Amino acid sequence: MAWSEFWVILVSCGITILACRVLPLFLLKGRELPDAAKRALNLIPPAAFAALVANDILNPGMFSQGLWPAGAVIVAAVVVIVVAIKSRSLLWSAISGVASYAILLAL
Amino acid sequence: MTMMSRNHLSQAFRAAVPIMLGYVAIGIPCGILCDSIGLNALQVFLLSALFYSGAGQFMIPNMYLTSAPVASIIASVSLVNTRQVLYAASFAPECTTSSKRLAFFFAATVTDESYGVSIAKFREGDWSVGRALAVNLFSQSSWALSNVVGVIIGSLVDIPLQIAAFAMTSIFICLLFTQRPTPANIVAAVSAAVGVYVCKLIGLGGAAILLGAIGGVVVAMAVSWVRARVRGGADGQDAEASSLDGADVEGDAVAGGAEGEGEGRLRGDGGER
Repeated sequence: MAWSEFWVILVSCGITILACRVLPLFLLKGRELPDAAKRALNLIPPAAFAALVANDILNPGMFSQGLWPAGAVIVAAVVVIVVAIKSRSLLWSAISGVASYAILLAL
Repeated sequence: MTMMSRNHLSQAFRAAVPIMLGYVAIGIPCGILCDSIGLNALQVFLLSALFYSGAGQFMIPNMYLTSAPVASIIASVSLVNTRQVLYAASFAPECTTSSKRLAFFFAATVTDESYGVSIAKFREGDWSVGRALAVNLFSQSSWALSNVVGVIIGSLVDIPLQIAAFAMTSIFICLLFTQRPTPANIVAAVSAAVGVYVCKLIGLGGAAILLGAIGGVVVAMAVSWVRARVRGGADGQDAEASSLDGADVEGDAVAGGAEGEGEGRLRGDGGER
């Protein structure tokens, strides 16, 4: 990644996360967030992580060249889902994902 | 902060150790993945020092790899990090008595994991914003160092990009499936995924993550609003509100922007004491 592009991303993301971390402290002064705002904020992580996963594993026409090797991603994802639910560990999820995907691609 | 005793510092360190170990376990892979998309050690260090977000630091290489536009990367990463507002809001009462500068630096370095620890410590009593800040800084040091080590490891071993990319996918799968499976969360997740697919179908691939995620939140809010209406007003609303507070208090299943495992362990710790 070029430095110019890097700075734009770092500074922009740095400012927005700093605002989210700090502003409520000084603006709310101990008052509660409105319920609807809390509810919406709580919904963002599941929606965003689902969007990231879907973006990585779903593509229109992904099976146009047959079920395999396109299906390897789906099968590996299912393996990771099981490991994630059982272990609740990011590390084990990453390791099992990489291992199962590599094995499935080699088949 | 200046008056922090040795004793307080060691208390903070002990509270931070589980987070620090979790960050080693996940910071090294994060550094390796950042290296795989061409970030160098200095860039990764700057991200860890000035941005400091586990989920965010996985999202940036992930989206960059799928050649998403820079504006889309920034908007999506920022959206994911809005959950910090909930943490900051819940610490506001603790910070009213401390100096503004101390409160600022504490709030600026809160993560999913250190939020969980600090909330538990404040609730136990005999805790201070100064010590909570020290916990954050110990954790951040561990995160930054592990990321840099990861970059160095990544530059020594050659990991195929396709495989490295799937490691990031796996991280997001874990973050997704460690969320609480409430009806609203499930609706949000499913509609976000459908939204992404539709965006790609109609040629909006570059903004798919952002639009999909926003769509998911909107649909889930609409569904819960309709359900509350149908169930007949006030009762339903109240039940919903209180279950939400419950989620808040637990540090929520936001499941660690960075480390699900660490969070589970930490939460256990808090309960036992």
